[in-house]
Amino acid sequence: MEKIKTFIHRLFVPHEENNFRAKSLHTDFLTIYLVIAFLMMMVFKQGNLHDVLGFATDISVEKLYQLTNEQRQKNGLPPLSLNSSLALAAQKKAENMFQENYWSHYSPDGKTPWDFILGAGYKYEYAGENLAKNFLFSNGVVDAWMNSTTHRDNLLKREYTEVGYAIVNGTLNGEQTTLVVQEFGKPMASSNPFTPPAVQASEVVPKNTEQIVTQKAIQPKFNAFHFTFNLNIIFMMFLMLALVLDFYFASKFNIIRIGGKNTAHLLFIIFVLIGLFMSTIGTII
Amino acid sequence: MTKHLYKNLEKELKNHFLDYLLLFTAGIFFLILFNIFRGQKEIEFFVLVSFALFYIVWGIYHHIISGTLHLKTVVEYILIAFIVIFLLKIIILP
Repeated sequence: MEKIKTFIHRLFVPHEENNFRAKSLHTDFLTIYLVIAFLMMMVFKQGNLHDVLGFATDISVEKLYQLTNEQRQKNGLPPLSLNSSLALAAQKKAENMFQENYWSHYSPDGKTPWDFILGAGYKYEYAGENLAKNFLFSNGVVDAWMNSTTHRDNLLKREYTEVGYAIVNGTLNGEQTTLVVQEFGKPMASSNPFTPPAVQASEVVPKNTEQIVTQKAIQPKFNAFHFTFNLNIIFMMFLMLALVLDFYFASKFNIIRIGGKNTAHLLFIIFVLIGLFMSTIGTII
Repeated sequence: MTKHLYKNLEKELKNHFLDYLLLFTAGIFFLILFNIFRGQKEIEFFVLVSFALFYIVWGIYHHIISGTLHLKTVVEYILIAFIVIFLLKIIILP
């Protein structure tokens, strides 16, 4: 126990034994951090932990679905069930957005969300769509939808009974993007026959297996990304803690020494952390 | 604890007000550019590297002005800048 105390004292408190500078901020320790950061970077790159297109996000259908239903249950609404036709419609919509290079509910050639839903063979009584791009985490997507009145209304609409998702990577307007499409619906009752417009009549009938493979293929790589993201935050927090403690004890004991300015290091890391958190926030429509 | 921190932080910022103002302004520019080019991964990474290099130059400039420039100090700024670059490269440009 005494050894651990001495070690922590040496690690964070500047005094005679560590040359009046917290050991965790010595050049040799900083070099070790640098080597660890470099190795992490190489492992992440070589281990192909991101998906084949070079995108790294932690957005999954399972998590989006779980968070959506949690929000509905919190508001006293029945949970939605996953529907493969709506998932196919979402997949087709995302692919179409990349193909025709647009970020909107309506395509430049006039295709509406309802066209994709009907085209996937889903005859609806009620239907709706939420879109998101550039998010890194599933909870960021659902939080953003919940903070927007129109998206929140869609997510919490009592009439909807089913939902389908697509998470697709691609390049939109020259920007590498992860698109999230959420299609809601309530199927048409069989007693009320529905005739889709002629335009949708020729659409391909959905193949359930196709969308299941598409959605599940993204899954395992995202956990590694989440882990690395958290590791980065912990690493920077540790560095900030070491800088604050070193600055505090040096001030308290009136220690004057040669070295970098802790305040400048802190300011630099804080700005980078803000930038890092900014990169997790995407846009919704 | 906060008394010591505030007192010395205030003293440090007062003594080198313009230097810190420069670093703070660069930080704000970094965030603005990072936000403008959000999603354009290569440019995002370029903005980060530029800010990190500016930080190293700022460190050298600051210590020259203060008359406290040593090789050890320069190495410290370089190490911290590159630790951050490597860590964020994983997130921005995997």
